Amino acid sequence: MTTTSFALFGAKPAFDKPLPIGQLYFPSWERYEAAFRGIFERQYYTNQGPLTEQLEEKLQQFLGVKHAICVSNATIGLMMTTDAMGLTGKVILPAFTFAASAQSLSWAGLKPVFCDIDLNTHQIDIDRVESLIDEEVSAIMGVNLWGGACKPKALQELADAKGVQLYFDSAHAFGCAVDGVKIANFGHAEVFSFHATKILSATEGGCVCTNDDDLAARLRNIRSSYGAGRPVNVVRTANGRMSEAQAAIALMSLEDFPANQKNNEVLYRLYETQLKEIPGLHLVIPTGVSFSNFQYLVCSVDEREFGLPRDVLIDLLKAENVVARRYFYPGLHRSIPYVQELPQYLDSLPNTDSLCASCIQFPIGALVSAESVERICNILLRAHQASTEIRARHEK
Amino acid sequence: MANKSSIEELAIFGGSRLFAIPKSTSNLVRPDVEKFLQYSKAFFDQHQYTNNGPNVKLLEKRLAAFHQAEYCITFCSGFWAIAIAISAVALKGKTEIVMPSFTYRRMADIAAWVNLKPHFCEVEPATLAMSAATVRPCINENTALILGVHPIVNCCDVDGLVALAKEKNIPLLFDSVESVYESTAGGKVGGSGKAEIFSLHASKLLNGFEGGYITTNDASLAKQLAMMRGFGFGGIDNIVVPDGMNAKLNEVHAAMTLASLDDLEDQVARNRQRYYTYKRLLAAIPGIRLLDFDEDHQTSYKNIVVELLDAWPLTRAGTISILNAEKILARAYYSPPLHQKPMAYAHVPADLPLTDELAERFLNLPCGHLVSNEDITNIVKFLEFISANASRISERLREMGEK
Repeated sequence: MTTTSFALFGAKPAFDKPLPIGQLYFPSWERYEAAFRGIFERQYYTNQGPLTEQLEEKLQQFLGVKHAICVSNATIGLMMTTDAMGLTGKVILPAFTFAASAQSLSWAGLKPVFCDIDLNTHQIDIDRVESLIDEEVSAIMGVNLWGGACKPKALQELADAKGVQLYFDSAHAFGCAVDGVKIANFGHAEVFSFHATKILSATEGGCVCTNDDDLAARLRNIRSSYGAGRPVNVVRTANGRMSEAQAAIALMSLEDFPANQKNNEVLYRLYETQLKEIPGLHLVIPTGVSFSNFQYLVCSVDEREFGLPRDVLIDLLKAENVVARRYFYPGLHRSIPYVQELPQYLDSLPNTDSLCASCIQFPIGALVSAESVERICNILLRAHQASTEIRARHEK
Repeated sequence: MANKSSIEELAIFGGSRLFAIPKSTSNLVRPDVEKFLQYSKAFFDQHQYTNNGPNVKLLEKRLAAFHQAEYCITFCSGFWAIAIAISAVALKGKTEIVMPSFTYRRMADIAAWVNLKPHFCEVEPATLAMSAATVRPCINENTALILGVHPIVNCCDVDGLVALAKEKNIPLLFDSVESVYESTAGGKVGGSGKAEIFSLHASKLLNGFEGGYITTNDASLAKQLAMMRGFGFGGIDNIVVPDGMNAKLNEVHAAMTLASLDDLEDQVARNRQRYYTYKRLLAAIPGIRLLDFDEDHQTSYKNIVVELLDAWPLTRAGTISILNAEKILARAYYSPPLHQKPMAYAHVPADLPLTDELAERFLNLPCGHLVSNEDITNIVKFLEFISANASRISERLREMGEK
């Protein structure tokens, strides 16, 4: 096997320009233009306008949830939710999650308690949650990762038994269902992201879902004075508004959800078939759900079987203009400020450390064709076959 | 749109409204839709909808140049821009933030989000703004930061606050949300203190749907703020600053702001006309004093604020009710002031008699894109009418109150 066919060693890259990780679905120019000419005619730009109202109604219908409260972005949604739930002290969450999950707690003056994860599903390890609950813990933040779910019903039973609250960072989970019930309906609240990299895009944006009328009222009062509905006392307000521009894009994206989900699933299945032929790349299957949005394509790299360390593979793909990412690296417990503030977690999350060292994410979404999947998998197969030589040259 | 000939015709007493479409105090400027679409094309073609896309980069460059500041960093809102800026520059280990009480209704809540106690200062009666003299008594060993806030007409004493902050060695930020276009003797607003914060909310001078930005001449602060708005990331998988969150401005909002910026000089000319219409017509009505813009320096002429003097024959609350019933959405100027409102978080209790008094006297009148000169003529005629018939109106209002 030769290494000369790889861009890392001087060959022409497999892709002309960088292929981003995804999702990046967006309406056609014609639909975009029509929607925005409408906004300019109405001259209603923000403050819970007609499109935001319409989006909230449609999200409620789609998710089968009583309240969908649209927000500027998911991080702000999480921050508002901690306040609205009246959380105090500490909150348990995995360290294998995006920075925003823990940052929302820090902004709200709360302390994260990091829980390890299950190596196979990548989700929070429910068996370890119980031992972390002490009198300072007011809630568990479940994180639904990779289009799968983190056993919301079992977490609810545990939370009820222990007298703590439960909510979810469901940034990855829009449209997914557990036993036919859409994610949005579990715990006290669930927070979705409508970032451009998610299946439902508002460019930036998100929503908080709940079936609790009082919690919804508090969330709306915190968000802003517009669309606040029934006035209730809250400790502090925020600006958590979604503009009409964001709502316009999200409405079109919601219309496109079935087609975009299907596209993701087709690409996922293609990857699945081809990755089977490559030793050492273990595809993460969205677990715990009866329906997935397939918005992420994540593998763990077994260095021994595959022949290359994960980070060498990322360099190799980057040279080919394939944007592969080591998601959540190095784990929140090893990131600022928690690495200094909470050093007790450095040695207590072995599965998190192991996945942070092996996890890799490949492109899937609007800009990825079936042909690109084949080309990516071909690079991966060749990389495996030439791994000894690549390793030798890369070390130089 | 007929004006009123008898008090029975007032909407508050059941007559028809003077305006079918509400006349508000929000700017709601509408930039050229074609320009907006042209800017949109840039991010659309690149499939980059947020995360420091082409419009955000262009906007930051143009706003820095506009304010004659070295750096500009955009945010999802003025609210979170202020919170992040405070978090970045407040002295660590200190607990209080000095701010006026006679200001934006959520300002104290921002302090609560960054875990600082608001310590409210008085304002100067002549400017309605804080000054070095009103801030000085609030400074103590716990002071973490001074938040200088420009009022909505003209500017606060920038030089005085800068000198005080320097003398006391306390960081100073400016909330310049209402002063995008303004200048002071020291030059364009945007280059003073550690940083200055602006809003791109649709109600402000530059309409970006929602959004905000910060200008600064401090390179390392600019870098820190840019990282904090994006979770603290300094590179891929590398968080380098604490207190990060998501406060990024998306590309659509940036495109809108760019289109608004293109229209800004024309807008100020339109605002100037509106202001002069108000000024000319209000001069004839006793008991109402228009707050004049300081035309020695560059000004946006955007906000119309009047003081109801002792000669004005109706109460302010009554005046507002009568106006609002006609769909003239006049608002009490920063009332109630922050120190009078219940706060469920830590704060320094304040006794501010001057603020209490001023908070009863001023009124914001309709302004902005949806208010024509003809509307202004009708609004002022209406004010004239209620002033002339004030005693009978007051009587009817009292009767209504008794029922």
